[in-house]
Amino acid sequence: MEGRRIGVYVCHCGLNIAGTVDVEEVAKYAATLPSVVVSRDYHYMCSDPGQALIKDDIKECGINRVVVASCSPRMHELTFRNACQDGGLNPYLLEHTNIREHCSWVHEDKAAATEKAKALVRAAVKRVYYHEPLEVKEAPVNPNVLVVGGGIAGMQAALDIANGEHQVYLVEREPSIGGHMIQLDRTFPTLDCSECILTPKMAEVGHHPFIELLAYSEVEEVSGSIGQFKVKVRKKARYIDESKCVGCGVCEEKCPWKVPSEFEMGLAMRKAIYIPFAQAIPNVVTIDKDLCVYIQSGGKKCGACIKFCEANAVTPETLLNQSDQIVELEVGSIIVATGYDQFDPSVVPQYGYKKYDNVLTGLEFERITCAAGPTGGKILLKDGTEPENVAIIHCVGSRDQNYHEYCSRVCCMYGLKYAYLIKELTGADVYEFYIDMRCFGEGFEEFYKRISEEGIKFIRGKVAKVTDVAITEEEKGKLIVVAEDTLLGSMVRVPVDMVILCAALESRSDADKVASLFGLNRRADGFFLARHVKLDPVATPTDGIFIAGCCEAPRDIPDTVAQAEAAAAKALSLISKGKITLEAAVATVDEAQCQGCGRCEEICTFHAPKVISKNGVMVSTINETLCKGCGACAVACPTGAISIRHFTQEEILAQVGALIEV
Amino acid sequence: MMALIPSKEVVDVVLEAGGEPLKLCYQCGLCTATCPWNLVRSFSIRGMVHQSQLGLVDFESEDIWLCATCNTCVKRCPRGVEIIDIMRALRKVIVEMGVAKVPDALRLSAKNVSVTGNPLAELQEKRADWAKDLDVKPFIEGTELLYFPCCYPAYEPKEKGIARATVGILNEARVDFGILGVKESCCGDLVRKSGNETIFRRLAESNIKAFTENGVKRILVSSPHCYNTFKNEYPDFGGNFEVIHSTQYLLELVKEHRIEFAKELNKRVVYSDPCYLGRHNDIYDEPREVLQSIPGLELVELPDFREEALCCGGGGGRIWMETKKGERFCDLRLEQAIELGAEVLAVACPICMCMFKDSQLTVDKGESIEVKDVTELVHEAI
Amino acid sequence: MAEFEPQIIAFCCNWCTYAAADLAGTSRVHYPPNVKIVRVMCSGMVNPIYVLKAFESGADGVLVAGCNLVDCYYLDGPVKCDAMFAILKKLVHILGLEDERLRREMISASEGVVFARVVEEMVEGLKKLGPAPFKVKKGAVV
Ligand SMILES: Cc1cc2nc3c(=O)[nH]c(=O)nc-3n(C[C@H](O)[C@H](O)[C@H](O)COP(=O)(O)OP(=O)(O)OC[C@H]3O[C@@H](n4cnc5c(N)ncnc54)[C@H](O)[C@@H]3O)c2cc1C
Ligand code: SF4
Ligand code: SF4
Ligand code: FES
Repeated sequence: MEGRRIGVYVCHCGLNIAGTVDVEEVAKYAATLPSVVVSRDYHYMCSDPGQALIKDDIKECGINRVVVASCSPRMHELTFRNACQDGGLNPYLLEHTNIREHCSWVHEDKAAATEKAKALVRAAVKRVYYHEPLEVKEAPVNPNVLVVGGGIAGMQAALDIANGEHQVYLVEREPSIGGHMIQLDRTFPTLDCSECILTPKMAEVGHHPFIELLAYSEVEEVSGSIGQFKVKVRKKARYIDESKCVGCGVCEEKCPWKVPSEFEMGLAMRKAIYIPFAQAIPNVVTIDKDLCVYIQSGGKKCGACIKFCEANAVTPETLLNQSDQIVELEVGSIIVATGYDQFDPSVVPQYGYKKYDNVLTGLEFERITCAAGPTGGKILLKDGTEPENVAIIHCVGSRDQNYHEYCSRVCCMYGLKYAYLIKELTGADVYEFYIDMRCFGEGFEEFYKRISEEGIKFIRGKVAKVTDVAITEEEKGKLIVVAEDTLLGSMVRVPVDMVILCAALESRSDADKVASLFGLNRRADGFFLARHVKLDPVATPTDGIFIAGCCEAPRDIPDTVAQAEAAAAKALSLISKGKITLEAAVATVDEAQCQGCGRCEEICTFHAPKVISKNGVMVSTINETLCKGCGACAVACPTGAISIRHFTQEEILAQVGALIEV
Repeated sequence: MMALIPSKEVVDVVLEAGGEPLKLCYQCGLCTATCPWNLVRSFSIRGMVHQSQLGLVDFESEDIWLCATCNTCVKRCPRGVEIIDIMRALRKVIVEMGVAKVPDALRLSAKNVSVTGNPLAELQEKRADWAKDLDVKPFIEGTELLYFPCCYPAYEPKEKGIARATVGILNEARVDFGILGVKESCCGDLVRKSGNETIFRRLAESNIKAFTENGVKRILVSSPHCYNTFKNEYPDFGGNFEVIHSTQYLLELVKEHRIEFAKELNKRVVYSDPCYLGRHNDIYDEPREVLQSIPGLELVELPDFREEALCCGGGGGRIWMETKKGERFCDLRLEQAIELGAEVLAVACPICMCMFKDSQLTVDKGESIEVKDVTELVHEAI
Repeated sequence: MAEFEPQIIAFCCNWCTYAAADLAGTSRVHYPPNVKIVRVMCSGMVNPIYVLKAFESGADGVLVAGCNLVDCYYLDGPVKCDAMFAILKKLVHILGLEDERLRREMISASEGVVFARVVEEMVEGLKKLGPAPFKVKKGAVV
C-alpha cells in the first residue's frame, strides 16, 4: 500500500462551528494522528480560498487523502470532491465529516462538543486511510425505444418519441392497437367521440416512419440493462400474408364460422377470419386458429377465404404452414403500458350479472351506445325495446375490502356520462346509486352539474342486490334494485329495465408475468409500482424501464396521456444525453471468497448480482448498471465476498472503532 | 332531536367495542339494505353505526334490540365494520350501566340463565333428565367425546328429539362419548349478544372449568350457537377445545361407514342454513352432504340459501322476545318452504327449530310441513 | 465521581435519518453529545459486525435508524434491516447485553425532533443501566 499522506481541514463556518467547538484545538489534535501531514482550520472551507487550501496542499505537500470537517456532506461533499479533482486527486479520496449539524448546532457544552468533534475527525482520518480511487463510468445508450401495449398510453408515448425521430418498436398483443379507449363510445368530460379522436392517432402510429408496429405480438424475453436491453418478441402467426392483405373484408363475409367478438364484449359475433373492428390498425385480417375449420381439418374442409381472396393473401400455404416468428430487438429503454382489465362483476352474485339479461358492465354499455356497435347505437334491452328506467350502480368491486380497496377513479364520471346518454337517446328515468361522487378532474364538477340539470335521480347508498322477485304490481317484469337511501334514512326498491354496473378497473390478469419479464414490482393491489409515487411516478426500480397509463393505477384518459408523455420525456432525456453515468460506489465481488450460493441474487431488489459459471466455478458478478449501492447483498453474503466500494467493511470498522476513545 | 348522552364513559364503551373498524364505516348503507329486518319493517343499522361513531346513541329506541346477529351485513360490509360487536356494546351499556330500560322478556331470560344456568328456568338438577331412559354414560376423564346438547334440546319437550337422536346415532356408531349433565350450563351466546357480558363471563368460566376439570378435549354440539361460542369466543377466556357440530360429525360417520342407512326417506326436504353455522362459520356443505346421503331424500334449495340465507330471527336473544306477527322471519321462511312443496323443513340448530315450530302454529298450512333437525332425519333412516 | 456518560453510536441512513439529524441541527434542536453518527447509504447496509464492533470498542448503546418502510431510497432496505436486526438482537442477548442497549428506529428526513428525542431517551435509559459489561471487563471505565 502506497504511503498515506492525509490532509485535515477543520472549518469555523464563521461562528457557526467555532462558536461551540474549539476548532483550533481540533486541528491541532488532528495533526497528531497517524499519517496526517497537514492539519488546518479555516473560516469558510467552502469558499474559494478554502477550497484552494486543499488544492494547494495536494500539489505542494503531496497529500493523497483529504478529510474535511465542516457542515453536512449532504450539503458540500460534492464541493470538496470537486476541489480534490481540481487539485488532481481522485474525488473519492475525500472523507467529509459533519461537525456543524451533528455537533456545534445541537450541543451547548463547548468542551463536550470539542471532544465530539475530535472523535469525529479521528474516525474520519481512520476511515479515509482505506479509501480507494473510484472510477466514474459511463455507458452508451441505444436510442431505440420499446413500447409495450398499444392502448392510448402506449400510442402516445410512441408518437412522442418517434416525432423526435427516434426509432420506436410498439408491441401490441391484440390484432389491432387501440386498447380500451377504442371500445369507448363518447368520453367524459367533453363527450367527444372516442373513435373520432383516437383513429387519427392510430393511423399516425400505423404510418409513422419511426414506428415499427409489431401487432399481434408479445414480448418473450428481456435481458441487459439500461441503455442496452435485448428483447425477443414473438410475432404470432395470423395465417395470412400481411404484405398482401388489403383489409377488404370479403373473406370475413364469406367465412361461415362464428364466435362472440372480444371487441364487442360478446354482444356481437365475429368470424374465424376477422378484423376486430372497422378502423383496426394494422388493417389486415387475423385467423383464429382454434376456430378455423380449414386449419383444424388439416386442409380437408372449408377454405372459403382462399376462394374469395382476390389479393391472394390467404392461401393453403399461409393457413397450413405459417408459424410464429421471433423478432430480436435492441433498445436503450422500455415503456410498459399494458393497461387494465375490467373487474368481472359475476363474483358479486347479488348483482345478478350474467344471471339477468339486462344487467350490463360499463364496457358492454359503451358498445351499446356506440353507433358502430351491435345495436347501431340504440340503447335497447335484450328483447329489442327501449328501457323506461335505468339504474347505474357505482363502485362495483371498488372501495370494498371484499374485492378492491382502491377507488377506480373513472366510474363516477362515466356513470354520469351514461346518465346523459340515456337521457338524450331514450328519455328514460336514470338512477345513480353512489357512495360518494368523485368528480375531481378538470371540467369534472362542471360536468356533474350539467348532468344534474337533466333531472337524474341520485341515490346515496350502496346497492345490496338486484333481483327479479317482485313484491308489488309495478315491480313485475322489472329488475328491482335494493338499497338504503342513506340520505332519506330509508330503504328503497327501484324497479328498472336495465342495470349498468360500474365495474372496477383492475390489474391485468397476467400482470405477474409481465412484472417478472420486465423486473417490475407490484403493489398489494396488483398494479405496477412506481419508483416514487409523488416524485418519480413513471420510473420503476429498474433503470431504463418506465410505466405509463392504467398499468400503474386506474386513471382517465387525460391522466393516462400525461403519464405517457412523461414516460416519453424520460426516454427522450436518456437518448439526448446518449450515455449514462454509473454509480461508482457499487458492489464488487471477491471471486476468491465467493461460493456462488446466490444469496446476493435473492436479496437484491435491483437484480444486479447474477451467479454465473466462470471457468467452471460458480461465482457472483455484479451488473454495475443495475446496482444502486444499497449494500444489502454485502450484509447477506455469508462469506463476506461482496463489499460496497467506498463503504467497505474495512472502512466502516475503522471508523466505528475510532469513534470512542478508550 | 336526538338526546346527547353526556356520559363519556358510555361513548367510550361503544367505541372500544367497535374498535378500529367502527371508525372506518363510510355510511354506504349496504348493511341496512342487506339486513333482513327491512323485509318486514324499517330498520337502519347504518344509522345506528353512525350514532355510535358520533357517540349520539338514542338508547331509548327499541331498534337497539332488533339485531338478530345474523351476520349478513358484516359479511358484505365493504369496510369490515364489526356491526354485531357494536350492537352488543350498545346493549351492554343499557344492561350494565342502566342508561335505558331493558325489555322485560330479555331481563327475565337473563335472570333465568343467571340463576338456573338455562333460559327456560328449569332446575339445574334436571339437566340430564332427557337421557334418563337412554344408554348414556356420564363423561369421565379419558372419554373420547363430550356431547353438549344445548339448553333447548336438554329441557324443551319439542326439542328433546334432537338430543335423543344424536345419542341413538352415537350408540349405533359405537362412539365413546359421555355427557356432563348437571355439571354444565348454558353456553351463554344469547345472553352475551343481548348485552349481558357479566353473566356470559360467569357461564363461560364455569363451563371452561367443568370441561377442563373433567379432561374434555373434543366437544360435539347440536347448536351452532354453542359451536360459535366454544370455538371462537371461549379461547379469549382460556378455553381451548376442539369443537365439532353435529352435521360435521354426521358426515364423518357417514363417510367412514360407521353408520349405514337401512331405510329410504322418500321426502322432499328443504334445508335452512342457520346463521351461526353458515355465515358465522362458513359451514354450508356438510349439512347438505349429509342430507343427500340419505336414500330417497330429495333436497330442494330455498330461494335464499347459503351466504344469502334468511335468518330465523331467533339469534341475539330475539328468541326470548315477542315479535309481532308479520315481522317474523321464520314465518317468511316457512311460507317459502311450503310454497316449494317441501314436506320437511330441515334445520341444524335448536334455536331455528324453536322458531319454526312456533311459526307452524300461526302460518297458514303450517302443520302441512314437518320441522326436523338433520340429526333426527339421519336417525330415522338408520 | 463524575456522572457516567454513556457512549452511543448511531448508524443512520443517508436519505432519512442522517438528514433528520441534519434537520435537528439546522433547527437548533439540542440533544446530549453522547451520540456519534456513522453515515451509511441505507439501513439495509448495516452489517451486524458493525454493531458488534461498536460494542466491542466501547459503546454503551447502538442505534440503527433509517427510513420508514415506504420512504427507502432503495425501496425495501428497512425490511432487510429489520430481518438483520432480529438476528442481531439475539446475538447481543447471547453476549449478555441488555435489550435496551440496542435500538432500531425509523426516522424520516422531516423528523429532526424525533431524532433528538430518541437520543435523549437512549441517554437517559443507558445512564440508568450503567456502562456496558464489556467495558467493565476491559477495565476501561472510570
Ligand atoms: C367503462 C369505462 C368507461 C371509460 N370511459 C372513459 C371516459 O369517458 N373518459 C376517460 O377519460 N376515460 C375513460 N375510461 C378510462 C380509459 O379506458 C383509460 O383511461 C384508458 O383506456 C387507459 O389506457 P391504457 O393505454 O393505459 O390502457 P388500455 O386501454 O388497457 O391499453 C393497454 C393496451 O396494452 C395491450 N397489452 C396488454 N398487455 C400486453 C402485453 N403483455 N403485451 C403487449 N400488449 C399488451 C392491450 O391489448 C391494450 O391494447 C373508461 C374506462 C372504462 C372501464
Ligand atoms: S449493493 Fe444493493 S443493489 Fe448492489 S448488488 Fe448489492 S443489494 Fe443489489
Ligand atoms: S355496510 Fe359497513 S360501511 Fe356500509 S354503512 Fe354499514 S357498517 Fe358502514
Ligand atoms: S370507485 Fe371511484 S369512481 Fe367509482
